[in-house]
Amino acid sequence: MFQSLGTVVEHYVLIAGVIFTLGAIGFLVRRNVLVQLMSIELMLNAVNLALVAFNRAYPGNMTGQIFAFFIIAVAAAEAAVGLAIVLAFYRLKGTVMSDEGDQLKL
Amino acid sequence: MTLVGNIFFVLMAAVSLLGAIGTVASRNPIRSAVGLLVTIIGIAGLFLELKAEFMAAIQLIVYAGAVVVLFVFVVMLLGPDASKVPEGPPKGWAARALGGAAMAVFAGIASYLVLDSRPAPVPFPVVHADHGSVELVGRELFTKQLVPFELTTALLIVAVIGAIAVARAHVEKKTKARDERPAPQRFFVGPLHPRDAGHPLPKEHA
Amino acid sequence: MQALTSLFPPNDVTLLAFIVLLPLVGAFINGVFGKRLGREAVTLMGLSVIGVAFLMSLGCFLMLHEQQTGEQAARLVWKGWDWFTLDTGFSRVVLTVGFSLDALNGTMALVVTGVGFLIHLYSWKYMEEDPGYYRFFAYLNLFIFSMLVLIFGDSLPVLFVGWEGVGLCSYLLIGFWFDGEQNASAGMKAFITNRIGDFGLLVAMGLLLLSTGSLDWSGIEANRQHLLDGMQIFPNLGWLGLPNGIMVSRATLVGLALFLGCAGKSAQLPLYVWLPDAMAGPTPVSALIHAATMVTAGVYLVCRLSFVFVMSPFVMFVVAVIGAATALFAATIAFAQTDIKKVLAYSTVSQLGYMFLGVGVGAFTAGFFHVITHAFFKACLFLGAGSVIHAMHARIHDNDQSQDMRNMGGLRRYLPYTFVTFLAAWAAIVGFPLTSGFFSKDAILLEAFSSHIATEGRVITGGETLWEWPQATGTVLYAIGLLTAVMTAFYMTRLLIGIFYGDFRGWKIVQKWKEPKHEHGDHHHEHEEPGPSMKGPEPHESPWQMWVPLAILAALSLVAGFLNAHLLQIHWFDEWLEPVFKTARTAVEHKEVAEAPFLVFAVTAFAVGVGVAYWVYQVKKGEPARAFAEGSPGFYKLVRDKWRVDEFYEETFIGGVDLLAVMAVWVDKWIVDGIVARLTAFFTSLAGTVLRYTQTGRVQAYAFTMVLGMGGVGWFFFLPHAAYRRTRDDLGGKYTLTAMPGASYQYRWDENADGKWDGGFGNKTQVAFNLDPDQTKKVRLQVRNAFGLTATRDIVVHRPKPDLSGADPEALKLLEPTGAKGAPRNGQAPNAPKGAAPAPARGGQP
Repeated sequence: MFQSLGTVVEHYVLIAGVIFTLGAIGFLVRRNVLVQLMSIELMLNAVNLALVAFNRAYPGNMTGQIFAFFIIAVAAAEAAVGLAIVLAFYRLKGTVMSDEGDQLKL
Repeated sequence: MTLVGNIFFVLMAAVSLLGAIGTVASRNPIRSAVGLLVTIIGIAGLFLELKAEFMAAIQLIVYAGAVVVLFVFVVMLLGPDASKVPEGPPKGWAARALGGAAMAVFAGIASYLVLDSRPAPVPFPVVHADHGSVELVGRELFTKQLVPFELTTALLIVAVIGAIAVARAHVEKKTKARDERPAPQRFFVGPLHPRDAGHPLPKEHA
Repeated sequence: MQALTSLFPPNDVTLLAFIVLLPLVGAFINGVFGKRLGREAVTLMGLSVIGVAFLMSLGCFLMLHEQQTGEQAARLVWKGWDWFTLDTGFSRVVLTVGFSLDALNGTMALVVTGVGFLIHLYSWKYMEEDPGYYRFFAYLNLFIFSMLVLIFGDSLPVLFVGWEGVGLCSYLLIGFWFDGEQNASAGMKAFITNRIGDFGLLVAMGLLLLSTGSLDWSGIEANRQHLLDGMQIFPNLGWLGLPNGIMVSRATLVGLALFLGCAGKSAQLPLYVWLPDAMAGPTPVSALIHAATMVTAGVYLVCRLSFVFVMSPFVMFVVAVIGAATALFAATIAFAQTDIKKVLAYSTVSQLGYMFLGVGVGAFTAGFFHVITHAFFKACLFLGAGSVIHAMHARIHDNDQSQDMRNMGGLRRYLPYTFVTFLAAWAAIVGFPLTSGFFSKDAILLEAFSSHIATEGRVITGGETLWEWPQATGTVLYAIGLLTAVMTAFYMTRLLIGIFYGDFRGWKIVQKWKEPKHEHGDHHHEHEEPGPSMKGPEPHESPWQMWVPLAILAALSLVAGFLNAHLLQIHWFDEWLEPVFKTARTAVEHKEVAEAPFLVFAVTAFAVGVGVAYWVYQVKKGEPARAFAEGSPGFYKLVRDKWRVDEFYEETFIGGVDLLAVMAVWVDKWIVDGIVARLTAFFTSLAGTVLRYTQTGRVQAYAFTMVLGMGGVGWFFFLPHAAYRRTRDDLGGKYTLTAMPGASYQYRWDENADGKWDGGFGNKTQVAFNLDPDQTKKVRLQVRNAFGLTATRDIVVHRPKPDLSGADPEALKLLEPTGAKGAPRNGQAPNAPKGAAPAPARGGQP
């Protein structure tokens, strides 16, 4: 068992799942928008890890890694736009707590 | 798998998990950013273990080099305001608590089911030496995936422009007071329709 | 002539197309490039195309004249192209764009292009100062084009194109000075009033298509016996005493619908109201369109379809009575008008009534002859009036006042040529012996007394009695006609004296002059109050471009009557048109009457009218008229206000339409806006009110619902689903069941439903089997997914008995030999509907 650590896809999927869950919980629980964005990055990284691991388990083509590559590109764009929104939000509200952005409510 | 490989895997897994916990649990955003950096490095290490050298490099360059720096930059820009908590009780705490709990429960169930369904894990097959190399990924990227790749560049440009447009400061454009605005042009004179005759336009439009 | 005939064989006279096309070219060039071309080029273009068209028409006319020998009607035909094909359900009717020329429209074409050319020439100077000079000539050329299409058209639709074209040009030219609101609304009035008539024409076209299956002249004539079929126009209402409804012959319906169109275009009761207002246009337009050519299109149409009209004595009676009534009615209005163009306009309406009286009693030649002579003398009168107005403009720069008779008088000293020509045209219209009007009117009156449409439709129906004209019709019509002749003589003499005799009253402008309608009190009093004397230039004679057409028209007014002077035993025009009306004339019955008394009556009518007017306006200087007006001011005002027909229409028809509009607004406001819009809006806002409580604006709340949704999706994937798809072939009896795929699903089947599985879990996704009719089979399916969970489903497949209830017995016989089991197992029955082919049917899901 010990010998086979890191040689089966389940180990990586487990790690990815835990990181993803941590990111999701972080996004759900934290109200600091910056931390929420970082949590999103965590989730994206977890997915990347799973994709690359499956690509290692089924190495017929490179689709998994290519997919992860595109996710990285999209995540970079997302981070840029998200942080710009955070800055605008901060200018408007003077804080980066997401529960302050509730002007649309009743 | 050698002992070194095992130790490397355990190390990297632990690093990334600890980093993730640090990211989520830190009160100070700058510590969260550092935790994110640690996670990213750990995952890059796991990529190496998975024979995805190109992805590992990209991971480090893009995430550690660009995204995390961007986060740190914003946190620095905001300074102490980045973690300032506004007065009064936090809003929506019930939804947050419920959401977090539900996520944890679902994740637990899903992990159990996934692990339970495959009693005999299948080890990784032996792969070609250049699996995950720059050559192979690059060939794939510039032949089969060329259109998505080019679209990605367009996406990045759009994102940059959008980020500039959103984050730019609008200092000089203060909206004028309501009374200073010119009255809208009236295109028609007189009642256009019998049913409008009883409803003349407001005074400032006349 | 030989060369012309050999160049254009009678069955393909391309020349006709050229005649029609030339004015269109002129209209296009003048309209599009006229502004840059300059006045000289526009004049040259406008005049030359009409002149050449006139010469070509003359050529065609001579060709026609050469070919027409005796009784046989000659026709020149040009077939253009197939326009469209109508499928009436009974037959396919190909509508050809084609022109044809016979004696009737050949004569008309000469008048249109000839008088048209003279009026173009006249307009050269009359419109010289106008900034819209090129526009005017473009419109005028376009009008000539449309009018030629109208009269050359070989079928009703082609005629209708021209009919609408002249209506459009009339609208454009009435509102030529469109910056005046009065002019613009006069144009609209003409257009809208004509729409009512056009509706009748369209209905007539439909009925003709239904009855005769044809729309060209020869086709209608060939199949016209179908027009005698009855048609029910009113439902069976026993309690009204109408157990069979009301039946009329199709000919009556067609004739009435056609006459509605004619009444609109030719300004007959009750649709005449647009023509007097149409005088708002330039005077050459009044002369060309609203006196000489366009308004006679209705008479032309009655003549053209005379063989349809005579099939219904009732329609002919209506035409004659409406014509006579219009003649009398319009003449009364002309008594009290002071605007010289208005007097001429009502005179035109009256004379058009004369023409309809003529064609209504079956005197088509006489009626059409009056069209020709009227074109000459009325054009001359209008152009003379234009010349007078042109002269008056030297003193009075006001359209209304320069047309007012009360500002004129004694103009014969200043306008000698105009006076002489006006006098000639006056002589013609009042029926001075041996002038054209004398002969044409006399012929109409004589025939009105002596002719009527055969009461027994012996021509076509074979003895069946149709509607019968009342006994006294001829006498009454004659009396009305004669009375109208007296009145015409009176008011035309009044006009002549008012313009040309006495002293010039234009030195003093009449003060406080307004449209008589709005005036209170008697304006004759105001007439005597002199305004401030206006010094200024004297009225002057018009240039040669204006009086030369006048002279030609005046000469024609005097001598044109000799084309058909029955008194002198000249019957050229009768003989010339005889072949055209040969069919129709068989339905007309004549009484033999001595002509001499009628001659005496006609001369007496002229003498009385002129004499009384001379006595009233020249000898007594209008005193008796003033005394009469003072004696009965109410009646005088009523006549001066044109019997207030316009006001009556305003209150009834236009008021009705307005009421409809108000009701539509109400419906829009309360029904559409109130119920449809507001109710929808209420429900939308209700839903919004409820749903916005879910919109807290907090990201985590949204994310929480997303997590819940994720959980739901996960639950769906966690459970296995034993779904299946069935293909059925009820006729062939083949069935297959296919289990739906899922993530790492494994399947096992129990095909005979005996509780024992056929095997272990595997990848077998499909079972196939055959069934006999009315046989039922149960199949079980079990699915296991990656988590080891299973789902089971019982599937019942039933093959129905073949439904042979509606099948062809012959086909059933064919089925017999295949055995008692019914339909053949493999393959479809001969009568199998297409829908019985194997079709997928989706199985349910848990």
